[in-house]
Amino acid sequence: MVSVTEWWHSVKTAHSVWRLTRLYTGLLLSVVAILLVVLYQLSIGQMNRQQQLQMANIIAQQTSLAEQLSHEQFIEQFELQAQSSRQYILSYQIEQKNFGRLSAPPTALSQCPTLSRFPIWLDQFDEIRLVSGCSQPLASGTLIIAVDDESLYELKGQFISASAIALLLAVLLGVITGLVFSMRVLKRINNFNQVALRVESGQLSARVAVSEQNDEYDHMALHINTMLNQLQHSFETISGITDAIAHDLRTPLSHLRQQIESEMLSKQQLNHPSEQLQSMLDKLDEILFTFSAMLELTRLQQQKESNSQHFKAINLQQVIVDAVDLIEPLAEEKQQIVTIGGAEQFSIQGDATLLFRAIYNLLENASKYAGNNAQINVQLTPRGFTVSDNGPGICDLEKEKVFQRLYRIEKSRQVAGFGLGLTLVKAIIQLHNGKIELLDNKPGLIVNVEFIKPNKIKMDESIDPNIADA
Amino acid sequence: MRILVIEDNQTTRQYLQKALQEQGYEIDLADNGQDGLFLALEGDYQLILLDRMLPKLDGLTVLTTLRNAGKQTPVLILSALDSVSERVKGLREGGDDYLIKPFALSELLVRIEILIQRKGTHNEKLTTVLHVADLKMDLLSHKVFRGSTEISLQPKEFKLLRYLMEHNGQVVSRSLLFEAVWDYQFDPQTNVIDVHMARLRKKVEFDGLTPLLETVRGVGYRMVAQR
Repeated sequence: MVSVTEWWHSVKTAHSVWRLTRLYTGLLLSVVAILLVVLYQLSIGQMNRQQQLQMANIIAQQTSLAEQLSHEQFIEQFELQAQSSRQYILSYQIEQKNFGRLSAPPTALSQCPTLSRFPIWLDQFDEIRLVSGCSQPLASGTLIIAVDDESLYELKGQFISASAIALLLAVLLGVITGLVFSMRVLKRINNFNQVALRVESGQLSARVAVSEQNDEYDHMALHINTMLNQLQHSFETISGITDAIAHDLRTPLSHLRQQIESEMLSKQQLNHPSEQLQSMLDKLDEILFTFSAMLELTRLQQQKESNSQHFKAINLQQVIVDAVDLIEPLAEEKQQIVTIGGAEQFSIQGDATLLFRAIYNLLENASKYAGNNAQINVQLTPRGFTVSDNGPGICDLEKEKVFQRLYRIEKSRQVAGFGLGLTLVKAIIQLHNGKIELLDNKPGLIVNVEFIKPNKIKMDESIDPNIADA
Repeated sequence: MRILVIEDNQTTRQYLQKALQEQGYEIDLADNGQDGLFLALEGDYQLILLDRMLPKLDGLTVLTTLRNAGKQTPVLILSALDSVSERVKGLREGGDDYLIKPFALSELLVRIEILIQRKGTHNEKLTTVLHVADLKMDLLSHKVFRGSTEISLQPKEFKLLRYLMEHNGQVVSRSLLFEAVWDYQFDPQTNVIDVHMARLRKKVEFDGLTPLLETVRGVGYRMVAQR
């Protein structure tokens, strides 16, 4: 039931599908209706017209005979005519006398050429039939002419019900095929839309799937993919250039730093530095720190081999306890509560300092952005850990983007930072064969980190925090 | 106090020479690995500042050769190679400390002091009780007393205080404190260590007792018995 309502909802929201289906069904209906009308006119309509023409002929004939012949002659020829005519029932009425085949003509009969229906009793077949007829006043009496059209009438009824069924089938066929075809088209277009959304949210490696049909959509997909390749290439080139700039500027900046320190030294100010020189040094350190972080990031992202050479088994819980220990007084200043949950004990092959930095960075972010009185929780999960808070969280559109280099959410710009933290965290997690994703905590943010190959630790191998601290 | 500086970059070499001489150290210089190794083997130095990337003979080779020859002079490695694996390598080959370029001169001076001091007091490490003024730390029972009042400390606070007491009178930088207590090699770059120190201070210098912990602006902290 749920899937049907979901399907219906998706159909309703997809306006183009509805429009296409309506247009298609409308066209199909009008084609079928035109065909039916033509068919009717060529068959039943034709028979009807012929009948009416003949009846008009008979009436015209009898009218002229009534004018030309004497009364007796006319009655004589009329009787003969009425007896011989098989298809038409003829009757002539003068005052109270009836001639022809009807023993008693019906009252209130419409005047020719308008027909009205009335029942007659057939002696020879012993049955009642409905016939159509009309009356025509002649010089001395009234001529009544009728035709047994019951079979034609039935045929007409059958034709109408058959037409109704045909139209209904046409509507059904139109709606179903229209929906199926337009859904298929929509599905392929949605494929494009989804890729565009993923790219928009920062996942530059997203590509449109190309089918084997080799049609216009596939051509479009190929073009878009080529475009995305170029876009990604440009992005990587730009980050390469920033790296080169960072690298080249680092040396002169370090020398500048040395000169400032020499200056302070010569003035014997090293332990009591002047405000001005000290603030120059602080700013310089900020720049140097950013450059170092950028270069380190590239190294982590590119040289997986050399970075993981010295990996050894790291107890993740221990690293988490250490990171929480470090952030705890900072969180306390903002009345935040930091808790550790989960009893999972496992180790991963890795670098303790890098993992510590990643976890500490996530905690620092939570403390920075979740606001005063926030609850921050680090939870050990079977394959990794989560860091969650009950702060404002991050909207879906920005969840991928925050992992990009130097990307900062607009409202966080007043908080100190360079937009490298989460990028570095992601690089570290990926170096450890893990993946990181941001989820909603409703309210707040959950950072979920999972490693591919965590090794369970037996309880006796685990490190007791108290012993470790001794 | 003689220090050997093996550094190929002229600007940095001159800067180090000037800065260290100002602090009263005697300086010998070498601008390549070969000359540096020769001087290190022949001379009698309290400390060697060794650049990681050197012409003729690589810094790490100089270090391993020196250690293989039985020279235990403390070596502080200076390097622009700040990736963690490089750092681990340098320390594993027998380096005593590792400083990433660009570094703050104050940080370098603090670390030099600590390294020279460490070598000097190497044999006194067997002590189980540390004293600074009326502050007493029992390393076995994990108890800390100020006068007769026991101070209750978190495990990390205990480590922090212990490091400061062990280096009584010396200036200790924030990153040194962080490395000593948390044992991870990087600079957190925030004021987080200051927050930890403020907390520790509140516990140690309660009730208006004589301050023992002094903030050294722009550098770090120092434990002082008297002012």
